[in-house]
Amino acid sequence: MLNILVCVKQVPDVNLVKIDPVTGSLIRKGVPAILNPLDANALEAAVRVKERVGGTVTVITMGPDQAEEALRECLAAGADRAVLLSDRAFANADTLATSYVIVTAARLLGEFDLIFCGKESLDGATGQMASQLAERFDASQLSSVLSLPEIDEEDKTVTAERELAGGVETAQALMPCLMTVEKANYRPRIPNLKSWKASRRAEILRYNSATIPGLDPAQIGDPGSPTKVPRTYPPEKGAGGEMIRTGSAAKDVEALLGRIADKL
Amino acid sequence: MNKAEYKDMWVYIEHDGTEIRKVSLELLCEARKLCDAAGEKLAAVLVGELPESEVQKILECGAEKLIRVSGAGLERFSVDAYTELFTQLCRKYKPSAVLVGGTIDGRDFAPRFACRLPTGCTSDATQLVYDPKTGDIEFIEPAVGGKMMAVITVPFVRPQVGTIRPGTFKYVPGGARGCETIEERFDFPIEKIRTRALSFRADEYDESLNIADAEVIVCVGNGLKGADALPRYRELAVLLGGKLGCTRPVFDRGVLPYKLVIGQSGVVVKPKLYLAFGVSGAVNHVTGITDSDTIVAVNRDPEAAIFGYCTYGIVGDMDEVCDAMIAQLKARA
Amino acid sequence: MAHYKKLTPALAEELRAIVGEGRFQLGEAVREEYSHDEMPIYGRRLPEAVCLVESTEEVSAILKRCYEADVPVTVRGAGTGLVGGCVPIAGGVVVSTMRMNRILSYDMKNLVVHTQPGVRLCDLAADALAHGLMYPPDPGEKTATVGGNVSTNAGGMRAVKYGVTRDYVLAMTVVLPDGTVMKLGKTVCKTSSGYSLLHLMIGSEGTLGVITELTLKLVPKPRMDVSLILPFRDIATAIASVPAIKLANLDPQSIEFMERDIVDSSAAFTGNAVFPTVVDGKEAGAYILVTLVGDSESELEGKMDRLGEVAEQTGAYDTLVVWTDGLKKDVWSARSAFLTVIEAETKLLDEMDVVVPVDRIAEFLVYTHDEAVEQGVYVRSFGHAGDGNLHIYCCSNDLEEDEFKRRVKKLMDACYAKCTEFEGQVSGEHSIGHAKKEYLRESVGDTAYGLMGAIKKVFDPKGLLNPGKVCHDAEGGAADA
Repeated sequence: MLNILVCVKQVPDVNLVKIDPVTGSLIRKGVPAILNPLDANALEAAVRVKERVGGTVTVITMGPDQAEEALRECLAAGADRAVLLSDRAFANADTLATSYVIVTAARLLGEFDLIFCGKESLDGATGQMASQLAERFDASQLSSVLSLPEIDEEDKTVTAERELAGGVETAQALMPCLMTVEKANYRPRIPNLKSWKASRRAEILRYNSATIPGLDPAQIGDPGSPTKVPRTYPPEKGAGGEMIRTGSAAKDVEALLGRIADKL
Repeated sequence: MNKAEYKDMWVYIEHDGTEIRKVSLELLCEARKLCDAAGEKLAAVLVGELPESEVQKILECGAEKLIRVSGAGLERFSVDAYTELFTQLCRKYKPSAVLVGGTIDGRDFAPRFACRLPTGCTSDATQLVYDPKTGDIEFIEPAVGGKMMAVITVPFVRPQVGTIRPGTFKYVPGGARGCETIEERFDFPIEKIRTRALSFRADEYDESLNIADAEVIVCVGNGLKGADALPRYRELAVLLGGKLGCTRPVFDRGVLPYKLVIGQSGVVVKPKLYLAFGVSGAVNHVTGITDSDTIVAVNRDPEAAIFGYCTYGIVGDMDEVCDAMIAQLKARA
Repeated sequence: MAHYKKLTPALAEELRAIVGEGRFQLGEAVREEYSHDEMPIYGRRLPEAVCLVESTEEVSAILKRCYEADVPVTVRGAGTGLVGGCVPIAGGVVVSTMRMNRILSYDMKNLVVHTQPGVRLCDLAADALAHGLMYPPDPGEKTATVGGNVSTNAGGMRAVKYGVTRDYVLAMTVVLPDGTVMKLGKTVCKTSSGYSLLHLMIGSEGTLGVITELTLKLVPKPRMDVSLILPFRDIATAIASVPAIKLANLDPQSIEFMERDIVDSSAAFTGNAVFPTVVDGKEAGAYILVTLVGDSESELEGKMDRLGEVAEQTGAYDTLVVWTDGLKKDVWSARSAFLTVIEAETKLLDEMDVVVPVDRIAEFLVYTHDEAVEQGVYVRSFGHAGDGNLHIYCCSNDLEEDEFKRRVKKLMDACYAKCTEFEGQVSGEHSIGHAKKEYLRESVGDTAYGLMGAIKKVFDPKGLLNPGKVCHDAEGGAADA
């Protein structure tokens, strides 16, 4: 029986995020929060492994109370239990502080054989969480896993195909192993009515900074984050080039081809 | 932590035993500028054997120190060994910064050794600026799908670790400066390496998917009506002796493969002529095309951001303009 | 085409002066897009000039001058129609409303919006939502203009609960063919005040006047919604569930059906296989997609339970819950992309937009499939199961165009006859244009068709506005009543 963990994040749908033209800050109001799409792929991989070889799937996230919705989505799609780490003291955490909180809390739930993560989040997109989670779990690491992994419970190994620059590598790793999932050749399932209803009623395990024993306040939230974001600003608009406007596509193209003749 | 104790900026030299990955040379050239601004020395960290002609390239980029590491367990890249190696080296030599190419391997191990040290790690910066007031590097990158730029710093700890995408900076060697070589022996127990490659199946080589060095690129953006509209852009690319590329949303729609994605999360290109059809001009795409000699933008929306970056702009239906271009190019030939 | 005149250079200059240089295209400068809509199989024709209008006054001035000069005028929105409705088949001038794209104001007390006709449906819908309101009509083509929607009385996916575009138009400003500006309707929800010229104008496809401003009714947006996918063995069992769903007292916002073929094509085209093809180990042959709305999760859950029971009783393989925003977006954008997908994978394409009684949908589809096999073309279909409105696309990738047209004509003759036999309608929401005139005549009969022609003549005695459409014959033949 495998003990499987999936680390997920609720993110704003960045395609719908607008920027305040004056302050340069994000306007999050009215922007739906969604389960990070690559995390949904990671969950599906975990659930399929569970269905094949047996085990339990725990899903964990750090975020505000609303992140509960993302966890319920995971429960509906096959996770067995869900853990929400929520505390104001966790805010403004970078990947180092976030991975610290997640792994410290996850250790309360047991030892995990497999850990799945999406390759990166839609909003932060640093792609660093997986490596730092693997480090803190002291797990082996397989990134960019394409296929469902083969598990050998006796030898404690995981074998999977990874997408590399020039081709596909088949790699083997010892458990515990953390895998990151990007594009997968399978799609997250749509829950049926029965599992959806169960997910709405399921109890979510909640922890905050006071209920995670031994959590070091210096390593969480802003104090525990070595990277800082001193400022943000809107991208500069380019100065702009010459607009060709003759009124017809054919003449526009004729004028353009004349100007770029030396490049053709 | 006393930041002043940490000196020298490091670049990890990624290679395959015969050739250095270009991204490492690009980082050497960019770090050279940072070192000049900071009054620090540029060091290259080279693990394993490499032909002298390749080592020479490192020196030509102005490296003042070359840390050559040899030892057991390092023959092949592994996250386990390289994480420990860089943790030990950083503790011993106390560099102020470590820059690593944002390749698959680089992105696997750099955040991990940063975590083990521990220190701060950034990824995918598109500009690096040394701030003399604080002594910190500003890692500047497009954030939230390119809707804003974020400045990221590591103000209180060292080293400042960053992974940078290939093609972000230019490989323009500024000349050798005299370089001290430091030999370093490091053995990693093979039994502690927990991953191994069993086999590798190379993709069938498809020249049309190799767009990084194309001289002419026809790029289709999210204005693309559908896969059926694509043939005309392929035809135009062929007529111009160039290649077809796309923006991230076109890949997300499943219309073209990931290898054709141009921008921050894809390939950085520098063609002589870049034609953008139906490209809105989000900054995470634009960061991938700024070194093009001439940028032509065609978009229905006269307010599209891409017109801010182009050399020439045409407001109109992308298919119609493309068809006209094909017709006129054929008439010339 | 006795009395239509060509655009003279002098008139062209007058029109140019009305809209200004940048908004006028003449002769060779006329862009190709003005020669067709999204169903080019019905023929293309470039207008002699295009005016990109920005105000009622400009439209009035253009129509007046063209009326005096006997030059035909065809009004056009986004050109997303499917029956050639905006194609200037008698030449002349095209008036594009695409630059009349401002949403003018909201009246939050009376729940109405005042808008120009060139606003795209997707923009109006999003803007209304930002005001906490919903514009209920929801045709699949989100980039169509609201002016075009009103001109065709577009329906869409939410019609089963909310009705069609007609039910949301309270008032409009319209320019008659001779340039007269008229206001029709008031910002109130009831009227028993004479013949409704407003409703005559709605669905008249730009043949009676040019709409230049609209007052549209909005509703408070539902607090919560959920969509459910019911996979079935085949289309007959899928359709058979619809009456039971309607009887379950769920007040669904939409009940859509789709066949497996189009779902597969959509997955291949978009790379996003959102609809599961194997459910519970069984291959799905057709799907019903239902959207429910409610004020609370418990209300919705009650409805979902009832739908789940109906699904089980009617043989659905499962009841899949589309609850999250991300999944809703995926499912509905896949649904909205069907036409694009068909256009992309098909060289030759024609369509039917018939409405039949809900209990005859499956029978009609089976008949169509059989006839299509007979004629050697293939069909893709999807549509609004809740109101019997079917979108049936006849496709071919290997026939010559003339041969395709000949065979599709035979197929359509048979299908429209069957539709009439079933007491159905020629078009649910795509309209008549010039493509479906003959089928309209056969369906409604000569008396009704003659009355339509007589009405056209009252508004447009010279037959200059969008000639040759709906009930008008641009050639001046017998059909010109």
